[in-house]
Amino acid sequence: MTILLLLIPLALVLLVVAIWAFAWAVKQGQFEDLDTPALAILVDDDEAPPQAPRSDQDDA
Amino acid sequence: MNAVASSLRTQGSASTDTAPLDTSTCFHCSEPLPASAPRIAIDGVEHGFCCEGCAAAAQWIRDARLGDYYRLRSAHGGRVEPAGEALACWDREDILAAHARNVPGGRELVLLTDGMRCAACAWLIDRALMREPGVLEVSANAVTGRIRIAWDPARTPLSRPLQRLVSLGYRPWLATGAEREQARVKERNRALLRLGIAGLGAVQAMMFTEALYLDTNGSMSIPMRDFLRWIAFLVSSPVVFYSGWPFIAGCLRELREYRLGADTLVATSVLLAYGASLFETLTGGPHVWYDAAVMFVFLLLAARMLEQRARSAASARVDALARARPAFAVRERADGSREAIPLEALEAGDIACVAAGDAVPADGTLLAGEAWFEESLLTGESRPVHKRAGDAVFAGTACREAPARMRVAATGVATRLSQLAALVERAQAHRPTIARMADRVAMLFVAALLIVAAIVYAVWHAQAPDRALDVTLALLVISCPCALSLAIPAALASANGALARMGVLPVGPDALDRLARVTGVVFDKTGTLGETTPALASVSTFGGMERDMALRIAAALERDSRHPLAAMFAPFADARVRASDVRTVPGQGVRGTIDGIEWRLGQARFAMDAEDDGALWLASAGESEGARFDVSEAPRADAAEALALLRAQGLSLHLCSGDGEAAVARFADTLGLTDVHARQTPEDKLARVRTLQHEGRIVAMVGDGLNDAPVLAGADVSIAVGDGAALAQRAADLVLATPALHRIPDAIALARRTRRIVRQNLAWAVGWNLVALPIAAMGMVTPWIAALGMALSSLTVTLNALRLARVREGVAA
Repeated sequence: MTILLLLIPLALVLLVVAIWAFAWAVKQGQFEDLDTPALAILVDDDEAPPQAPRSDQDDA
Repeated sequence: MNAVASSLRTQGSASTDTAPLDTSTCFHCSEPLPASAPRIAIDGVEHGFCCEGCAAAAQWIRDARLGDYYRLRSAHGGRVEPAGEALACWDREDILAAHARNVPGGRELVLLTDGMRCAACAWLIDRALMREPGVLEVSANAVTGRIRIAWDPARTPLSRPLQRLVSLGYRPWLATGAEREQARVKERNRALLRLGIAGLGAVQAMMFTEALYLDTNGSMSIPMRDFLRWIAFLVSSPVVFYSGWPFIAGCLRELREYRLGADTLVATSVLLAYGASLFETLTGGPHVWYDAAVMFVFLLLAARMLEQRARSAASARVDALARARPAFAVRERADGSREAIPLEALEAGDIACVAAGDAVPADGTLLAGEAWFEESLLTGESRPVHKRAGDAVFAGTACREAPARMRVAATGVATRLSQLAALVERAQAHRPTIARMADRVAMLFVAALLIVAAIVYAVWHAQAPDRALDVTLALLVISCPCALSLAIPAALASANGALARMGVLPVGPDALDRLARVTGVVFDKTGTLGETTPALASVSTFGGMERDMALRIAAALERDSRHPLAAMFAPFADARVRASDVRTVPGQGVRGTIDGIEWRLGQARFAMDAEDDGALWLASAGESEGARFDVSEAPRADAAEALALLRAQGLSLHLCSGDGEAAVARFADTLGLTDVHARQTPEDKLARVRTLQHEGRIVAMVGDGLNDAPVLAGADVSIAVGDGAALAQRAADLVLATPALHRIPDAIALARRTRRIVRQNLAWAVGWNLVALPIAAMGMVTPWIAALGMALSSLTVTLNALRLARVREGVAA
C-alpha cells in the first residue's frame, strides 16, 4: 500500500495542474464564443491569399 | 440545410425548387429583387442582388476568397445600405479619447453592430477586418454583437476598417455599456471557474471517499483511513468555500434579512455535510460525507449555469440593442455647414439635421417644410405622422422619406424617450411580488428538519448519550435536502433550455414561474397582433381598368421604393410591366411611365387632385382610368390560431392599442376580441393592467413598442416581440426571437408543465426524506445506505426534470 503515498500526491499535483489549465483557459476567453471557432475550422486558411483584397485597398 | 440549398443552387437556376430562392430574393440579404437587379457569379453560379450595396459586398467577399461565408451562415445578412455613412466622426480625437484604450502598438475600441446574426458573420468580420492595413487585432462575438478592434493610428484612421465593415452591411455603433459588459464577462468567467473547480474537486473527493466506502469489512488500517479522510478534506475545502461561495453568501444575505430561503437550505446542507465530516475526521468517528458535500455543490452549480446561460445570452443581446441608439447627431453650424457630433454634445437650441430613414436624436420642433415621422414605437400609431414647421418631434422616432431640420428643445434625460425609460424603471419597482415557490418550501423544510433533529438528539441523549451527536449528524446529512434543492433548479434549467430552442428567449428571472400562473393576456395591436407593414384590404377600379393590371402597375411603380407600402404590392410584380422615369414625391407618392403613359400612385390629392380619404389611389395621366386601394393593418398570419389556443387554455384576452378607435375596432372584429381599448398612452396601458391586477388577475402583457415598455415592466409577466423596440425587450421577461405568436401558448403550456414537474420533484424529494428519516433517527445508517439514498433521490428529480427538455412541436394544448 506504500505506493499510495506516491500516487496520491501525484493525483493532487495533477489536480492542481488541471485547475491551473482550466483557469488559464477561462482567462484567455476560450469559453467566450463557442460557435464561431467551430466554423473557422471548417475552412482552409490556405485558399485565402491576401492579394485579392489588396487590389482595391493598395495604398498601405 | 445550407448544404442542401447550395447543392440545389449548383444545379442551375432552371430548377423550379430553387427558383424563388434564386430569382426573387437577394442572395446576400434575401430582400425582394428589383426589376434591374445587379447579377454576380459566385462559385460559378450567377445570383441576383437587391441593390448595388449587397452586390458590392458579395463581390468583395468573393474576391477576398471569403465565399465560405455563404456556406457557413445560418441566417441571411443585413441589407447593405449603398449610401456611405459619415464615418469621419469615428476619427475624432474627442470620441477616441473617451472610448478607446491604448494597447501596445495602437489603440483598441469595442464596437457594437446590429447586423451580426450568426456565427458566420463573426467569422466574416474577423477575416475581413484583419486584411485591412493597420488593423492589429479583431475579435467579433456573434453572441453579444460586439466587435473588439485594435488598430495602429499611425498606419490607418479608424474610419478605413469601419468603411469595410459598413460595406459588408454591418453598421458600427459605440458600445457605451462597456463597464457593464466587462462586469458580465468577469462574472461569467468566475462562475465558469467555480464550476470547473467544483467538477475537478468533486471527482477527486469522490475517488478518495470511494476507497473508504469500499472498505466494507473494516480491514483498512486506522492511519490509512485517516490519511484518506484528510486528503478528501483537502480536496473538498476549495470546492465548498470557493465554488460554493455563492450559496454561502446567499445564505448570509437571507439570514441578515431574517428569512429562510433556498440558499439557506443549500448552504446549511453543504456546510453540515462538510462540518460533520470534519468533526468525524478529527474524532475518528464512523463516517465522512465529503463526497456528498462536493457533489452537491457541483450539481447545483451546473444546473444554475445551464439556466443562466440561456438567459444571459438573451439579455446581452437585448442590452446591447437598447444601447445602440444613434451615437452621433448632425448639427448645423451658424454658417449653414454641417458637422457630425457625439450625441451628448447636442444642446438645446442647436439645429439638428435628420436624414431620411434616420432616428431623431433629441426632442424639438420641426423648422421648415414638411416631414413624416414614424412614431409607432413611441405611440402605437401605425402610419407615419405628417408634421409641419413648428410641430414637435420626438427622440427615438424615425424620419421618413424626406430629410428634416429641427431645433433641439430637450436632450438626454429630458426627452420623451428617457421619460418612458424612467417609467419602465418605476413600473418594475412596483411590480406585484409573487413569492417564489422554492423559498417557501425551503423555509418549511428547514424549520421541520431542525425540530426533528432537536427531538432526535434529545431522545438519544436520554437513551445513549455517547451516540447522540453521531446519530443527529447522520440524520441531518442523510435528510440533507440535496434532492429538494435540486428539484427546482433542475426543472428550471431544462425548461429554460427548451424555451430557448422554441425561440422564446427567457430574459427576466422567475419568468417561467410567473408565466405558469397567468390568467389573462393583454395584447398591443401594431407590431404585435398586427403586421408592421400594412396590407391591401380591397381594390376598386374605374375607367375600365382591370384589377390585376392595376396591381401590376402599382407593383412596377413601387418596385424600387423602400416605402413600407411598397412591400404590399411586391407579390403582384410582373417582369413584363416595367416602369421608367420613376420618381418619388416625398410624403405623397410616386410617379412613373409605363408603356408611354404616365401613372401616379399615392394619396388622392396627389394622384387625382381629389380630397384625401386615407386610401391609396392609382391614376393615369388624364385620370381616365385608375384604381383605389384600401389599406388596412392585417393581423399576423398566426394571430387567430394563437388567440384560439390561448382561449382554450382558459385565459381572458384583452387588446390595448395607441391607435385610433376605428382602426382598433375593425382590427379587433377580425380576431373576435371583445375587451378592447383604443387611444391608450403608455400611462393608460399601465393603468389598464393595474386595474386587471386589482380584479385579481395575473396579467401577461405582449407588446413590441417603446410605448409598451412601461406596461411590459409593470405586468406580472411580459413578452416582447422580437422585431420591436429594444427598450421594450429590456423591460420584458421573455422575448420572442421570431414574431411567431403561436409560441406564446406554447410557452405558457411549457411553463405549466414545468410547474407540474417541480411539484412532482418536490413530492419525490420529500418522499425520499420521509423514508430515510426514520432509518437515520434509529441510528441504523451505514455509509453505503447514506450514499445510495442521496444518489438515488438526486437522480430521480434530475431525470424527472429532464423530461422538460423534450420539446414537441405544437405542444400548446
